Amino acid sequence: MDRPEILKKVNDVFIDVMDDDNIILNYVTTANDVDEWDSLNHIQLVVAIEKLFKIRFTSKEIQSWDNVGAMVDSIISKLN
Amino acid sequence: MLYYPEVMIEPVNYICERIEALNPIHSKKLRKSMEFFDDKYNELAGAFFEKYIQLLHAENKTLDYAIDCYLKMIADVNAETLEFLRTGKYSSSTFDEVNARVYASPETMAYYMHGLILSQFLWKHHYQVFDYFINTLPQYINTTKSYLEVGVGHGLYLSKSLEILDDEASFTVVDISETSITLAKHFTNNSRIAFNLRDIFDFDNEEKFDFITLGEVLEHVEDPLKLLSKLNSLLSENGTLFFTTPTNAPAIDHIYLFNNVEEIRKIVRQAGFQIIGERAFLSEEVSPEKAEKYKIAVLYAAFIKKADV
Ligand SMILES: C[S@@+](CC[C@H](N)C(=O)[O-])C[C@H]1O[C@@H](n2cnc3c(N)ncnc32)[C@H](O)[C@@H]1O
Repeated sequence: MDRPEILKKVNDVFIDVMDDDNIILNYVTTANDVDEWDSLNHIQLVVAIEKLFKIRFTSKEIQSWDNVGAMVDSIISKLN
Repeated sequence: MLYYPEVMIEPVNYICERIEALNPIHSKKLRKSMEFFDDKYNELAGAFFEKYIQLLHAENKTLDYAIDCYLKMIADVNAETLEFLRTGKYSSSTFDEVNARVYASPETMAYYMHGLILSQFLWKHHYQVFDYFINTLPQYINTTKSYLEVGVGHGLYLSKSLEILDDEASFTVVDISETSITLAKHFTNNSRIAFNLRDIFDFDNEEKFDFITLGEVLEHVEDPLKLLSKLNSLLSENGTLFFTTPTNAPAIDHIYLFNNVEEIRKIVRQAGFQIIGERAFLSEEVSPEKAEKYKIAVLYAAFIKKADV
């Protein structure tokens, strides 16, 4: 899977967790850009992404994400 | 970003702005709580922070220390929530484990209790439960000659009980953590209270208590039914027990998982009690469907008495 494909899947997870069809992510999107992206949703995003890609993040990785691109890169590094 | 400064009192404003800078994602939760708070909140929170900041200063600490404590507690809660959503279980299952990890660790206990006391005025559902308690307790002024609080923690509930109940009433506290006992002692600063550093299961008293408070302790024991039965034996015939406990609330010292409110009510009945009044508050601003799907914590609070036989 390449970066755009993963971004698309991550976008779907955001839509599902936040229950908002209008969310359009790009690599530089941060929590400041998405109203519903609070700490609770953040944890649920992590768990949903883990399930979808069958991967497991460390807490260090989770804390290091400052935007969606970093999240996507983390996923790529786990898949390869 | 501005937080409704026209309705927010100064310490709360300061706390929110600092948290916004240090943990912007978390500050979104606080912003939602702030929308709910009203004049009555401002009055209560104002009085609280005046007292609390004095206590901090007496220990050469500042509000920034308390905010750091709060954020450490939030980091713990986030890590535990992640694990809980992955496994469906709380990370600890025995009392010995959490005793060593939390109650007997002064450092952990200190940030936890300072964090928790701030949460009483930062989280809508914590404030709602506190508000329910102080609005209802006056009904028990005439019948309460002896008051027991188990798991006093920071001492906020105890301090309100002292204010509300009769000047002649006796006050007894049991807590297993030295840090909690010391903090509650400082916070209440009242020589009428008898403090017992003890596991509640090892506590006995000749006289029965007319009113018992048990705030967020039931989920900390391996067998909550045994704890309620124990408190039933410590309660006078017409006495009242006020307790709070959450469902689906992972934390570093939670052992017993209540999956829903009905499970709590069930052990209340099994322990020989009947419910006089109850409330259940969702810990996040989400729809009931989402709360169920994502196992969002509900904080349950009830006034109960011995069941009629
Ligand atoms: C989460 S705090 C609750 C503080 C406060 N009551 C509130 O509602 O916010 C739990 C408190 O219960 C105490 N505790 C836990 N297990 C106990 C036990 N078996 N006997 C006595 N105290 C206990 C802990 O030391 C801690 O102070």
